[in-house]
Amino acid sequence: MKIPTKLFKPQNLFFLLAIFTTFGCKPKSQNDTKKIAVVISTLNNPWFVVLGESAAERARELGYEATIFDSQNNTSKEAEHFENLIAAGYSAILFNPTDSEGSVSNVKRAKQASVPTFCMDREVNSLDGPASQIISDSFSGCVELGEYFVRQLNKKGKYVELLGLVGDNNTWNRSKGFHSVVDHFPELEMVAQQSADFDRSKAMEVLESVMQSHPDINAVFCGNDAMAMGAYQALVATGKQDSVMVFGFDGADDVMNAIADNKIKATVMQSPKAMARTAAELADQYLNGERDFGAKTPLAVKVVTKENISEFGNYGVKK
Amino acid sequence: MNKPIKYTIIALVLVFSFYNAVYIKDLDAVKALKTKAVFNAKDYADDFIENKVQNLLAIDASSFLTGISEDVKSYSESKGNKLGISDDYYFIIDGKATVEKIEEENVLVTLQENKNRKLKIATDFIFGNAIREGAKMANIGDYQNTMDYNNISVELNNIVRETIVSPFKKSVKENDSLYFKGAVKVNVNKPQLDNLRVIPLILDLKK
Repeated sequence: MKIPTKLFKPQNLFFLLAIFTTFGCKPKSQNDTKKIAVVISTLNNPWFVVLGESAAERARELGYEATIFDSQNNTSKEAEHFENLIAAGYSAILFNPTDSEGSVSNVKRAKQASVPTFCMDREVNSLDGPASQIISDSFSGCVELGEYFVRQLNKKGKYVELLGLVGDNNTWNRSKGFHSVVDHFPELEMVAQQSADFDRSKAMEVLESVMQSHPDINAVFCGNDAMAMGAYQALVATGKQDSVMVFGFDGADDVMNAIADNKIKATVMQSPKAMARTAAELADQYLNGERDFGAKTPLAVKVVTKENISEFGNYGVKK
Repeated sequence: MNKPIKYTIIALVLVFSFYNAVYIKDLDAVKALKTKAVFNAKDYADDFIENKVQNLLAIDASSFLTGISEDVKSYSESKGNKLGISDDYYFIIDGKATVEKIEEENVLVTLQENKNRKLKIATDFIFGNAIREGAKMANIGDYQNTMDYNNISVELNNIVRETIVSPFKKSVKENDSLYFKGAVKVNVNKPQLDNLRVIPLILDLKK
């Protein structure tokens, strides 16, 4: 076969080079809009739905494509998401971990692939893995809630504590904050402390079972609002809803309504919207070259009661 | 190769492999090593109260009250400490005062420098992070598990309750003079300046 020699003339070669340079195959990510992944521990809880959607919404406002992944409270599912989103070329991860220890390896894998992770609400036990962690100051919130609890019970009575997921640091920060107050009042007796995994149905089952052996309780302290609603349902089922006080944590819509209706005594408002927005904004700053972030940024939380509920709006303080 | 030699060699190989695969260590030594790496909040709090409180910088209580009553937000932003994103600011203050009234959870004092200025010294409900944040003695970013950071406050409050407040409550009387140093929390959105509580670090009664 005869190759046309005209093609190899210098002017033609320059022409071809110019065409290839202009229309050549660049890596896709440089051409497309950058993508941010929002990985949420569970979307089976309205509070986390708001957290995920707010993060994705803010990321989109900042010009990114955003996709939400549901880990279904399962660390292996979460690991799968991380593998897939690293392979798919996501630029950053806004991350609500399932387990403070178990999620560390996922964060480190992303870091090795140069994908920064910004934890939201829940922390991981690693200072060098995430680019930053935006967490609620759960401990302080439960100190304040504990003081309110003590005063509402006039410093005496029997109570049950429903813990969240035992592998989550928030569970223990809340419990420790609460007990750092309540344990100093000897006439307040905790008759049972059990985990209900932050889950409404489990909380209902656990409290129903506890009340068979302790029908004379005066209060229930729950590590989140979903469990507070489950506990309230259990009290309704036994006809004790008016004599047992329920305390939650989150500021979820249904609990806020229940506080206004005198069904639940108090909760602690932690704003998923503020946390999510802050995480998305930090990710944007990171992708634009900023690296000077604090390892952890706690967000203050507030106790919500019947007396001050008018100061609070949808998942946060009224502006 | 005859069978006895073959089995002996296999047995020796197995024993050698097993010996090198298993390590036996003293459990107490392993536990001690692990504990050494664990943060001890009580030791940290003890060290702070014993060695650092005396020289801890404090704002004069009278000028603090003047400053926050003039412009709570800008005064807090320039002189106070806060944790992360919050409306709560913390200060370490000191001053000389006279005991005006002994209440159930506080001792109400009048500042000697300015008789119109009053403060409450907390003698019950000593909880929260006022001392840790007022003194800015630790940085949350240095703690892998935030619980360790929060335990500092728990231990500080325990020490204050047991070694500072308890003896004070037994001996304090109305009209006593005292020197105090302590931590105060101010919320800039809801300052409640008439109800400021000092979590005490030093309470020195002058009888």
